[in-house]
Amino acid sequence: MNMRNQHQPFISKSLAAVFAATLVVAIPGVALAEGGPTWHPESSERLVKLPPTYLQKTLDYDFEQSDLGQAMRDIAVEVEFKTLTLADLQAAIGQSDGEVRTELRHQFLAEKSVYIELAVARNTLQRQQLLTKMAVLDDILAELTADQASMTPARQQLIDHQQAARSRFEAAMADVDLSLAETTLGTESRYSLEFAANFTAIEALTLAIQSHSMNEGPMAEEGTLTKREYLRQMITDVETELALLDQQEKIIGQMAKLVALDAMALSNDLMGVELAQANDPGTGTVRAAIGFFVPN
Amino acid sequence: MKTTTWMKTLTTAALIAGMTTVGGMAHAGNVENMERERAILIDTMLTADLSPAERQSKIETSTRRLVDLERLVLRDDTLIGRNTPVVRRAFGNYDLTFLVHASTEAGMSIMDTWLDQMGLSSQTLMAADRKHR
Repeated sequence: MNMRNQHQPFISKSLAAVFAATLVVAIPGVALAEGGPTWHPESSERLVKLPPTYLQKTLDYDFEQSDLGQAMRDIAVEVEFKTLTLADLQAAIGQSDGEVRTELRHQFLAEKSVYIELAVARNTLQRQQLLTKMAVLDDILAELTADQASMTPARQQLIDHQQAARSRFEAAMADVDLSLAETTLGTESRYSLEFAANFTAIEALTLAIQSHSMNEGPMAEEGTLTKREYLRQMITDVETELALLDQQEKIIGQMAKLVALDAMALSNDLMGVELAQANDPGTGTVRAAIGFFVPN
Repeated sequence: MKTTTWMKTLTTAALIAGMTTVGGMAHAGNVENMERERAILIDTMLTADLSPAERQSKIETSTRRLVDLERLVLRDDTLIGRNTPVVRRAFGNYDLTFLVHASTEAGMSIMDTWLDQMGLSSQTLMAADRKHR
């Protein structure tokens, strides 16, 4: 058995491994890795208090700083390098022939198999990120909805009464001050004086808050979005990303099947070559020996 | 590394700001304080053992205090939507609760406004006879 024949069983075995590995990754719905990198965002009770536009950036930044974010960046680099390796091998196969070509085809298949494993791992991490983000957004929306749900008819009636009371009070305030000035006590109370001074300061601060860039509501085509609307938009975006991720996994599944078929094809080719080279054990050798048995 | 620390500090600052913008600490007792002062004012008006000058002085002082307390309650944002029996009752009848402001608005004396809210009027009281039951 020459070197080539020694190599071929090894290649056939590794091709079988590639075939088996690609079949495994071709199974859709890969379970999320347990004990792997994680992301634990800020609690929704704290995030719900942030302005909508700042919330998105806070979540993104929090993810970037997490183990999961780091793992995703690492794997993205690996995928990029693997893509370059595949491109190099593909080009080399086109320029080679014979034994070298077979060896390169084998390497190409093995690298494609690794690429698929990396792509699956990357998608698993991305799914983990999206599901965590979705859970946080759902919690924030639930908290906002709980506030809304607490608006019972009795509470709404109370708020209406309070607003009406304030309106009447504002209208009567100047008259009350005037009537107090006519009394022997004369001058305004300490509370009135301090309130007027503080009120001016509060007005200035309120104006500054309202015009602050971070306090601007997110915009949509229809105009400014409320916090709840913006959150629903963020949840829809995550749903969209998850759906696209499902599609990507289907693509990876198809890639894996193709790698498996390529591995079978290469294995088939190699078996053909081996068979052609092997000494034919023959089936007619008994007939050739008949002369030894039949007397002349 | 430095940027990370800054970002953490800034995020914490933003969250703290978010928490503090919710409003000042609720002061549960201002409605009760206002009601106590109103009760004292009405008691001063009804008490028989005071000279007119004493009564006038006490009423003015009490009215000034009640004006401030009424304004404290009306401006208290922490009471908005606080659906408790005390707050509900207080805002259920503006004229009786915010007696000084309501009486000025109506162009009536505090006493007349209170009696009116109680279902009495100066006229009906003046017209009433003193009889044995």
